[in-house]
Amino acid sequence: MICKCQAGNRGNTGFDSLICQRHYSEPLFRKSFMSKQLDLLDIQGHVLRAYGRFSYPKARYVFLNIRHSGRARRFVDAITQRVTTAVCWGKGPNDMPPPEWAVNIAFTYQGLKELELPRASLIGFSPEFVEGMKHRKDILGDDGPSAPEHWDPIWRDNRETRDKDVHIFIALNALAPVKSESALTDIQQAMAQCDVFLEQAYAWLLDEVKKSEAGVVILGGNRGDDGALLDYQEVKVVMENGMPTAKEHFGYTDGIGDPVFEGVPYDEARVRGRGKQMADGSWAPLATGEFLLGHIDEAQEYPPAPRPILLARNGTYMVYRKLHENVASFDKYLRQEGQKYPGGEELLAAKFVGRWRDNGAPLVSAPDAESKKKFDEKFAQASLAEQDRMLSDFTYDNDMSGAKCPFSAHLRRINPRASLEMGRDPGDIPGSYKTITGAFDTPGALSNRRRILRRGLPYGEVKDRSRDDGNHGIIIMMLNADINRQFEFVQQQWVNYGNDFKAGNDKEIILGNHSHDPRFASKAVLQVDPASEEVPYILSNIPRFVETRGGEYFFIPSMTALRMIARGVIDPT
Amino acid sequence: MSNVAGNAYGLSILSPIKNGRVPGKEIAYADLVRDQLQAWNSEFNSPMALVPQTYLCRFYVLDDVVTESLPGGSFPDTWSDVLPVVPDSLRRDVMPKQDRLQSRYLVFCCNFYAGPAGTPDAYLRGMWEAINGRIHDIWDNCYGFENIHHASDFITYMKKCQVTTSLYFNGSTDQPLEEQLKALYMKQEFTKFAIENQGLSATAIRANYRAFMLRTQLNDLQMPSWQPGQYRL
Repeated sequence: MICKCQAGNRGNTGFDSLICQRHYSEPLFRKSFMSKQLDLLDIQGHVLRAYGRFSYPKARYVFLNIRHSGRARRFVDAITQRVTTAVCWGKGPNDMPPPEWAVNIAFTYQGLKELELPRASLIGFSPEFVEGMKHRKDILGDDGPSAPEHWDPIWRDNRETRDKDVHIFIALNALAPVKSESALTDIQQAMAQCDVFLEQAYAWLLDEVKKSEAGVVILGGNRGDDGALLDYQEVKVVMENGMPTAKEHFGYTDGIGDPVFEGVPYDEARVRGRGKQMADGSWAPLATGEFLLGHIDEAQEYPPAPRPILLARNGTYMVYRKLHENVASFDKYLRQEGQKYPGGEELLAAKFVGRWRDNGAPLVSAPDAESKKKFDEKFAQASLAEQDRMLSDFTYDNDMSGAKCPFSAHLRRINPRASLEMGRDPGDIPGSYKTITGAFDTPGALSNRRRILRRGLPYGEVKDRSRDDGNHGIIIMMLNADINRQFEFVQQQWVNYGNDFKAGNDKEIILGNHSHDPRFASKAVLQVDPASEEVPYILSNIPRFVETRGGEYFFIPSMTALRMIARGVIDPT
Repeated sequence: MSNVAGNAYGLSILSPIKNGRVPGKEIAYADLVRDQLQAWNSEFNSPMALVPQTYLCRFYVLDDVVTESLPGGSFPDTWSDVLPVVPDSLRRDVMPKQDRLQSRYLVFCCNFYAGPAGTPDAYLRGMWEAINGRIHDIWDNCYGFENIHHASDFITYMKKCQVTTSLYFNGSTDQPLEEQLKALYMKQEFTKFAIENQGLSATAIRANYRAFMLRTQLNDLQMPSWQPGQYRL
């Protein structure tokens, strides 16, 4: 069912999952009765594909303001003709090849209003989507340096005056057509070609904007290098020695554990560690309705969605966030604590996230230097598919006390798998937890409804690691059927608070909104085996490593909904 | 027959739409069908207005079956309610799995005047003769339609796709369409007449009524009357 390249392996380069060249022609639609196959041609490509993994290492995100509803609908129609769907790519005569540049589009609530969706449809969108990210800052913990007044002008001015409201999001992702992954010159050539494609894509978009006769205008105000304000947000993979990597600016490999859900043909072999953990030790894909509207979710219900169903079905919500990375603070804190931490600096870095920085090895599989060495030996010998399994296929079942992967590590907080079903009996060793049974239907009952698809790429370059204030960070886009239940819950309860993990108010180490105020200093506990003689290590005065620089909530319509929006035929009756 | 009510016929057609992608385009056959049908909204009138004897009709694309709730009520399910020792896992295991359609369907529901014959043949022949180009635009995306070139082929194809139903749109009788449209016209005109003549003398009303009857031509079904598909004055 799956071509090798889409098995989603990530080794040391970001290009190990290159173009879908060896893809065989697989069923586009329902082939087998009773197994769910999505209408891939109706779903925008951005929803099912993290383009970075598919050899699209650079992208531009463009934001527009609608000035004339009718002309804006014609603009949406023109863009829709070129939108990239989630169709399977291949190189056969009947296959759809991967496009040189991919186009995807999404709308804010204000944008849908300007496109004149009927009121009866608009009221069906969720309250948090209507309100927008800026006004959810208290829930999201966007305070201090992350507060909206410090955001990029485009986001700071959004939802203040009508002419500066962000209405439309357009993503242009450019392909790097690599022939061979080993030759440096090939990769350099591909990256240069990628720049050409990106410029072509942008020129096409500018032309369409022009053709709209001021029906839409591009909003500037995206901060770039040296404080420059750009008409787009540029993103690209982080390069190391001329090679693209899958890393972000702190040096971690990003995006390994994206959820796998029912009906995505190119994800079927990736379900272990990415779907939901079952009682018998197997893994199953999550219900489609956790990520796409109009499909049954983990509660066996259709998620709340606007009417008519054709407006919502195969669409989803997207959380766009620009996150600045304070690389100097991070390096300094890691060095300072690494000198004291018994396991050394690199293990400490792994403890922050739950994965080792060099190859992404999960701490639960490689908790110390010795086991890491063995992991690396096996990893080096493994096939791409096997490597992928080594990175994703693990549980916290043998780490319920957090001795390997800390409770406040990024990985565990974002996707706790079965580890929240934790408890202890009287008389158990202090600090020890075990899996409790009987209370829940499945091991993942507490986390299966909090999963989020993650998209996006890093932005900027770190030119001086001794400074925090350069132009560097990541653009993360999180896709889910219910922003409040999924993204906002994770952000509020699991990133900025720790009670569900029996970690009091300890925040997630990397993303937490750690306070600069010494009275509210952040800490995190790095647990050890409760039965051992070792003592836990407490990280104290954690600085804020990541600051929000803007963002908004968007709706990504299906292709059907896009056509209907463009025609102005959304009819909720 | 359940799909005949007097002289009216309730036709329900479910045509399986081809799976996959329209060659050379990044669009599924079913999405193309829906897009083409939605474009009819922007035309002055529906092409179906040209099809004789159409009372009302509706097209839509059926993407999949809709889940109402978790199915249940089977034998062990009931036992697990009264006997807690029957494990919940057993109950869940015997529940039917979700059904899926093997393709998406073009659904065409139509009520029309079939006359005493009580068959759809004449109507379908009229439909083919009136709009066979538009029929091809839509049905060419369905399985097996490439061999349909004549009215008789079309009638055979449609009968293969027919689902016997007794569902009717409320709002019409079983009279021929022209009769119904004329009746509708007369009803509206007479209401206007009644309003305009309220409180006038009997002599005046009688004179006005003669003029009314002359103008409305009760026995002429063609003119003046509402035209098929007309919804604007």
